[in-house]
Amino acid sequence: MPIDTFLKSVEATGFATTIRDSIWMFPIIESIHVISFTLVVGTIAIIDLRLLGLASVRRSFRRMSSDILKWTWAAFALAVVTGLMMFSTNARVYYHNPFFRTKMILLVFAGLNMLVFELTAGRTIQHWDSAPSAPRAGKAVAVLSLAIWIGIIFMGRIIGFTTHPGSVAPPTPGVNYDNFLLPPASGTSTSGPSGTGSSGTTPAPTPNTPNTQ
Amino acid sequence: MNRFAHWLAKTSSSHTLRVHESWLIPGVQSIHIIGIAIIMGSLLMIVLRVLGWAGTDQTLRETTERFGPWILGALCLQFVTGLVMILAEPVRELVNFSFWTKMVFVAIGTTLAGIFLLRFPRREQQWNTFVNGRSFKSLAIVTFMVFLCIIVLGRLIAYDHIWGSWSPATTGY
Repeated sequence: MPIDTFLKSVEATGFATTIRDSIWMFPIIESIHVISFTLVVGTIAIIDLRLLGLASVRRSFRRMSSDILKWTWAAFALAVVTGLMMFSTNARVYYHNPFFRTKMILLVFAGLNMLVFELTAGRTIQHWDSAPSAPRAGKAVAVLSLAIWIGIIFMGRIIGFTTHPGSVAPPTPGVNYDNFLLPPASGTSTSGPSGTGSSGTTPAPTPNTPNTQ
Repeated sequence: MNRFAHWLAKTSSSHTLRVHESWLIPGVQSIHIIGIAIIMGSLLMIVLRVLGWAGTDQTLRETTERFGPWILGALCLQFVTGLVMILAEPVRELVNFSFWTKMVFVAIGTTLAGIFLLRFPRREQQWNTFVNGRSFKSLAIVTFMVFLCIIVLGRLIAYDHIWGSWSPATTGY
């Protein structure tokens, strides 16, 4: 499977190895990920509630979105960077994790949802900018947005529960999960991602399994 | 505390929570994260308003009246979901250096947020010079930073071993 070859090479980069072999780097990167996506979701929720007419109803929508969304995008960029950093440490495990995949699909939906907004209610902002709520299409987008982001948070959290030793999803044929989650079992053919300094016969066990819930 | 945590873990309510562990613990944790998202979004708006970087079409009072109740409501949500998580996994939480450090920061953060939300807006007239002053802005930034620390420490509960000998290191986590 070419994608696994690619993901394996991602895991083998010095960058990924450094994070994986450090005791504190992964937890700190994960913390920054949490900080950035809480800011993303928190600020998006403010806009969604405004669209629904549930809060900030007396403020101009355009004024609010120009005030807030630049911070949302900055935080989102940080979430993507930290997310990619975490992904690189165990790329194959995440790639094959059903919850990680669901999270990625939901992120795409969040983007499409935004596009729908731009093509519908977004085109007529001048008509409802100072109205207490958006037209029906805008409200529908807001409800979907809140639902999608709550789903993304839940998927993100569950990834941590399904990628730690003992609760890994059933292995996909041809992918060896055990190697990079557990100390090497006997008779495994593929080498783990942390085998940089080891002799090859016994890859060093990863000092910190990143996904301690 | 260690003994208390182990006793709590043996109670039937703790057991019930763990029996449904597959979805209940991540579910409650997700709600806890949604709660902190509400707090961070709202706090960011207030801090940006204090700094004059956003929401300048609103007064500080309007801004705190808009976002303050959400922060206080979410703090209550955090308290409840936090208690559920402690009950579900008492040893993981209570025998944990990150957890107790987080609690210290929660106490500081809640006090600072309380000052912002309850005291200043009501006296905005009298405090006008102070509100526009530098120390007020610094206080807003400090409050925000305290909440950043709360998030980091909250996440580090799962990685308490990184504190080395400071951590009461429970085996199995």
